[in-house]
Amino acid sequence: MPDAEGPDAPPDGAGLSEPERRLLAFLQAATAAQDETAIAAATGLADDTTRGGLQRLRSKRLARVEETSTERRRLTTRGRSAVDQGLPERRFLTLLRSRGGSIPAADLVAGPFDEEERAAAIGGLRRRGLLAEGAPFRLTPAAADADAPWPEETALLAVRDGAADAGPPAVVAGLVRRGLVAVDRVVDRRWSVAPDGADLPLTGLDRPLIGALTPAVLASGAWRDGAFRPYDVRAEVPYVTGARPHPYLAWLRQFEEVLVGLGFEEGAGPLLETAFWNADVLFMPQDHPARSIHDAFSLIGTSGHPPDPALLARVAAVHEGRPVDGATPLSRGWGGTYDPVLAARPVLRSQTTAVSARFLAAHPTPPFRMYAVDRNFRREAVDATHHLEFAQCEGIVGQEGITLRHLIGIFRSLAEGIGIRDVRFRPTYFPFTEPSVEGHVKHPRLGWIEVLPGGIFRPEVLRPLGIDVPVAAWGIGVMRLAMVALGVNDIRDLYLDDLARLTGGRL
Amino acid sequence: MPQATLSAARLLAGLSPMPSEPELRRILFDTKAELADWTGDAVRVEVTADRLDLLSEGGLRSLLDGVVGAARGLPPLAVAPSDPTLAIDVDPSVAPLRPAIGGVVVEAPAGAPLDAGLLEEAVRYQELLHATIGRGRRVVSLGLYPIAKTRPPFRYTLEPLADLRFTPLGGDIPVDGTAFYRDHPFAQAYGAFGRSGDRALVLRDAAGNVLSLPPVLNARPAGEATVGDERLLLEATGLAPARVADALGLLLLVFAARGWRLRPVAVRGTAGTDDGRALLAPRTVPLHEATIRSIVGVALDASEVERLLGRARLAAGPAPGGWAVHAPPWRPDLLGEVDVIEDLVVARGFRPDEGILPPTFTRGRRRPESEFRDRVSGLLLGLGLTPIATPVLVARDGIAGLGRDRAIAVANPVSELYSHVRDTLLVPLVAALAHNVRYGYPQRFSEVGPVVVPDATADSGGSTRYHAGIMIAHERAGFADAAAFVEYLLGALGTIGVREPARLPGTIPGRAARVRLTGETVAELGEIDPAILAANSVPVPAVWAELDLAALWPLLAPSGTA
Repeated sequence: MPDAEGPDAPPDGAGLSEPERRLLAFLQAATAAQDETAIAAATGLADDTTRGGLQRLRSKRLARVEETSTERRRLTTRGRSAVDQGLPERRFLTLLRSRGGSIPAADLVAGPFDEEERAAAIGGLRRRGLLAEGAPFRLTPAAADADAPWPEETALLAVRDGAADAGPPAVVAGLVRRGLVAVDRVVDRRWSVAPDGADLPLTGLDRPLIGALTPAVLASGAWRDGAFRPYDVRAEVPYVTGARPHPYLAWLRQFEEVLVGLGFEEGAGPLLETAFWNADVLFMPQDHPARSIHDAFSLIGTSGHPPDPALLARVAAVHEGRPVDGATPLSRGWGGTYDPVLAARPVLRSQTTAVSARFLAAHPTPPFRMYAVDRNFRREAVDATHHLEFAQCEGIVGQEGITLRHLIGIFRSLAEGIGIRDVRFRPTYFPFTEPSVEGHVKHPRLGWIEVLPGGIFRPEVLRPLGIDVPVAAWGIGVMRLAMVALGVNDIRDLYLDDLARLTGGRL
Repeated sequence: MPQATLSAARLLAGLSPMPSEPELRRILFDTKAELADWTGDAVRVEVTADRLDLLSEGGLRSLLDGVVGAARGLPPLAVAPSDPTLAIDVDPSVAPLRPAIGGVVVEAPAGAPLDAGLLEEAVRYQELLHATIGRGRRVVSLGLYPIAKTRPPFRYTLEPLADLRFTPLGGDIPVDGTAFYRDHPFAQAYGAFGRSGDRALVLRDAAGNVLSLPPVLNARPAGEATVGDERLLLEATGLAPARVADALGLLLLVFAARGWRLRPVAVRGTAGTDDGRALLAPRTVPLHEATIRSIVGVALDASEVERLLGRARLAAGPAPGGWAVHAPPWRPDLLGEVDVIEDLVVARGFRPDEGILPPTFTRGRRRPESEFRDRVSGLLLGLGLTPIATPVLVARDGIAGLGRDRAIAVANPVSELYSHVRDTLLVPLVAALAHNVRYGYPQRFSEVGPVVVPDATADSGGSTRYHAGIMIAHERAGFADAAAFVEYLLGALGTIGVREPARLPGTIPGRAARVRLTGETVAELGEIDPAILAANSVPVPAVWAELDLAALWPLLAPSGTA
């Protein structure tokens, strides 16, 4: 957005508060520097408002100040007492004379002096040679001529009267030390307009200044006649956060869009599955090391139901290496006897391939493409790269003529869909696909990572389900892809409920 | 992945050209094996679960020979004629415990009897097979016996433990069967598979010597193979003939690869006699040119197919429409035609540049239910609720702390942190409150995710439902906050619910409600019980609401989409 005035546009009067504008107007009109008292009187502003406003004008370089520092002496409470009743040493002299020139120490203690005055009285007479050493207290002969005012008494009176010269500095300093006189430093400030403020236009002095735009201001229409006090737009503001999409969930959603764009329709299946749909129908042997790849969670207190008997019979046939629907055997199968009781056992789904199986069992019309991005569960220890609850992106493509070349082509497209061009493949093993392939993609930072496992569904999977076209299938570890895309180093961080991280920082 | 540590010297002896470590790593990358480590003589290899043959030195060497061109086709298999004295008689009492039994005799080449290296590899591989294909000896167990220390034929019977007396392998003094089954750690681990009441499975020779108590332990001396032995009986018992054949086929690989001769062993039972020859014969799988093209997507001429099969150490003979492919007994993974085609593809190598996209377009779309969930998520975001994402598996403590007992428990959890399947989002939402006590308040967050509720009508006994959960926590949070959010959401979805009082675990009595829509509960809400807040060190009141999207969707879905 273009900035009409630029970032350093010169201020005008509209940038000042009402008191500031009044003060500046006064200074602009004044012919000489003025002290704050005079300025307050002339502008009608309170003393505090005047001082604060002048200081703000100074900080804005619109006013300047000349400061003169002077000292002023004044009597303290004790000093006023000394003027009224006499210095302690004068009063002690008078007491001694009234007692014939001598007084026991005990009488002095019981007399009209506090402890501090007593010390000052004794010390003051002795310094002047008017009090003899030793007890009792006795006046010296010189005391007979001691009626003339002492320099301290003269100085006290001068301070009382505000005389500029209170007497010899040493005498005055002695009175200050004795706490009879105090010295105040007085700063005299005289304000005048600064060059930047001399010609500053001041408009709308007659218009009320509006701070917050309140409902009352709006309702009254006062905003029409007032001027808005501008804010310091560089001032600190409160910290606010907002809700925004969860980064992992948002990434999954984007990934789904790639698949939808490639013509895939979404499928779904339950997280709690029977062993039949989770494994058996996928030609995973009931008792074989291949099954241990998917070491599933079993559950307490639930029981499942066997599938459609006809389907169960066909799946049992391929497991046992018997013909399906009267045809020759598709393979020698896994041998042994298929156990339908095990087939009904509930498990937490260990692979989204179960979703594919349910999709195929519904006899989709070729050509079909299905995907499912969902959670699965396997009995794995949780660490930075493994989670017992992980997400897979299942995908199948079924139509006449689908081959391994198409699977590789789709993998390359998926990789390109997330911005990766280098893909390599190696053989792998899944009980339900043959050939089985594992795609590795080259990440610029992490190097080659394994993310694209898939294959062509075995006839032992398709035939019992009544599918008579080849089907390419895969189950991508999308959490690993998400870690790469989001720069996450620990898979556990994808399951995120930390509000500080979800609401703060760059998305 | 299954793995094993092999001897580099024994694996690579005489291989030409000899691969360097990077070369071996690259070669194996293109197969179903992977070089995990190579330190000194120890080569650690991982393989896919179907290629256990590659975890033997002989099996992996056979593959390497094919890759570097040192050998092609079926590895040589020296099979001797049957010997009528080499037989295993099976008593009918055995069948209920171990219905499948098989055996084969392996005979050393002249002047090259059993050496320490081969014995060590055979024992190691035997245990590997026990752990994998044998499922801890329950499905299959294997034994090796020196023929010279026995008198064939052999006999399996079920005998009273009290009548048994033998010296267990590794021991020096004879023990009786009862004491062995009671005290020996192997008996405690595997005894259940070979025992029926007070009787146990026993393999004896014609002289009555105990060879072993399958599947637990061999006996001395008849069951103790030693360096210098020239003939060994390899025997397997199990639950299914196919598994027994697979296991024996793999174990004999160790010896066949070293030039040992194989001799069939007949198994005589009540159902008749199996002469044992099938175990040693190459397995034959039909292969059709049309099937290759339909799977690989590339037309390969006959010579190319035969060259690739030879490289994969398979043999091919002509057959109508293609070939009859012969595989050695240690390739139980070759179940049918597609498995052979995979070998062919692996030998040819995966070629990224051959990738093409399917020729027909289809219309992609998400499920309407997913779009509905996204719509709710968008509304929650618009309300300023930060979305969180948490696992479905939750901690037992989290469930118990809310006073809920409906959640399905995992029978075999790996951690107490993931011991139950959540049936409500209240569990992770409360956990998130506890995790964020230092974040400050107000806090407003939500989760849209799956829960699993017990459901006797479902296939698996539980239904997966998507819920949308809300948690609001601040100094003045109260029931009205949650109710207002629920009303807004329902209103935005085009409906109105009826709120009615409810007692809901985890909430304050009298401050909780259900929301019903056409009689169906579509939401629950309430103020969180202060005892829960205190237990989680949450210093402010909190309110929760949870919409059952699975219940809402059928009620709100446009006609024909639910």
